[in-house]
Amino acid sequence: MKISGIKYLANQGIENIWKNKMMAFATFCVLLISLLLVGGSALFYFNMNSMILGLGNQNEIAVYLDPATEVLRVQQIQAQLQNMDNVDTVEYISKEEAYNRMQNQIQQGKAIFDYIDSYEFMPDGFKVTVLNNDHIEETTLDIGRIEEVQSASSSPQVAEFLRELRKVVSVIAIAVIIALSAVSMIMISNTTKASVFARREEIQIMKYVGATNSFIRFPFFVEGMVTGFFAGAGAFFITMAVYRSIFRILMEQGTLMRAFGVGSIIPFERIQLWVAIAYLVVGSLVGAVGSVVSTRRHIDV
Amino acid sequence: MELLKVENLYKVYGKGENEVKAVDGVSFSVPKGQMVAIIGASGSGKSTLLHMIGAVDRPTSGKIYLDGQDVFQQNNRELAIFRRRQVGLIYQFYNLIPVLTAEENITLPIMMDGRKPDKEHLEKTLDMLGLKERRDHLPSQMSGGQQQRVSIGRALFTSPQVILADEPTGNLDSKNSAEIMELFRRSNKELKQTIIIITHDEKIAEQCDRVIVLSDGKIISDEGNSTHGEADSNDEI
Repeated sequence: MKISGIKYLANQGIENIWKNKMMAFATFCVLLISLLLVGGSALFYFNMNSMILGLGNQNEIAVYLDPATEVLRVQQIQAQLQNMDNVDTVEYISKEEAYNRMQNQIQQGKAIFDYIDSYEFMPDGFKVTVLNNDHIEETTLDIGRIEEVQSASSSPQVAEFLRELRKVVSVIAIAVIIALSAVSMIMISNTTKASVFARREEIQIMKYVGATNSFIRFPFFVEGMVTGFFAGAGAFFITMAVYRSIFRILMEQGTLMRAFGVGSIIPFERIQLWVAIAYLVVGSLVGAVGSVVSTRRHIDV
Repeated sequence: MELLKVENLYKVYGKGENEVKAVDGVSFSVPKGQMVAIIGASGSGKSTLLHMIGAVDRPTSGKIYLDGQDVFQQNNRELAIFRRRQVGLIYQFYNLIPVLTAEENITLPIMMDGRKPDKEHLEKTLDMLGLKERRDHLPSQMSGGQQQRVSIGRALFTSPQVILADEPTGNLDSKNSAEIMELFRRSNKELKQTIIIITHDEKIAEQCDRVIVLSDGKIISDEGNSTHGEADSNDEI
């Protein structure tokens, strides 16, 4: 096909949207709703995942050193910990701080502290958080291998629970996304079929006067693609507005919500490019393919 | 010279008890420049036969040759080009693209071919059809007779081997019918255009060189019109 022919057919496709505006609007709405359902579910899943990972990151390794460790060596160990693969943050807890904490924790028998005049017997310690909670046990063991470390302990049950929780959330989310995608495909297919059916006479006439299948299909392809592109753009702006509102509300809830991992919700700015690309590409592709497939039964001789 | 040859053609719908033979072993041939009427009751298979000759429907079995070429040996793309260049289809309800003007509808098959319409040829065609004043009108802005003239213009414009008209006057009053038949006769005489017309109207059939009568998908009569001495009747059936 010549370039001028392609340009003519592409123009036909765009003109068709205006000429068949009601059906184009119906296709646009169905595509928009489908994209929002699937896109919303996917974003919900990614955030759940991020929140669970965030909760895991609050899981700490408590590290205590031999009380006899020199100050210089304590600093070296802190640097060594900080350089370990899976370590995120290392917070130093001095002997004095540990002593004060112990005083606060022990209420009954508080009198015992009257007989202690120094906190030198207390060990220096570190509160270590990890990047990947799934590997907290290995990291704990690695820390325990440092000579001056008297004890390094974490709660593997928490890590295990969060791992399982992520698995369950993933399975449910993927099932929901697949189900919604299937429902969306059926809705889109029915709408494009109805849209094409309304113009079956036009297709028949084109066939009678000798149009090739690609000549008939190309304007439908362009029409579906443009409609899908705008539905993708619409879905992006709606998602952006809703996402930002929810993000703001949750962030305003303060520390309580953060304890549930809300602090790990992904800011929209970090993902907006990918969300936009996904919506526009999927919208255009589904719109174009849906329209072209629906023309098949009307053009075969 | 034989232009069109239809050989033992069948079109069967359904299976078993529901089987319907719309076209039942039809054979005939048409020489170049002949104007043929195919008549028959509703459901006799006239339109199905015409659609198969025009390559918009496939036969269950049998062959159609146009100018020696086996029509259905071609692939889908070749069939589309065949419809565009070799046949001109005209329908009772005009089948014009509603969003295109009269001129655009007429030149549509040429545009599909990626060619630019010849201006002189276009002017001549519009003149012959009496559509010069209406060239920029949409189908909805024209009368039935005018729309049918546009559809004839579209069929004639590519100078096809054969014009196939399915009840071309079925939706028109007697004045417009006469005008349309006059157009067919002129293109038949002046351009040696081969034309096959499906009709219920015996007056229309009388104006053709030859009349084929179909009943239940079979040819029951095939005779030359006495008023048209140049017609050859076909004795192959």
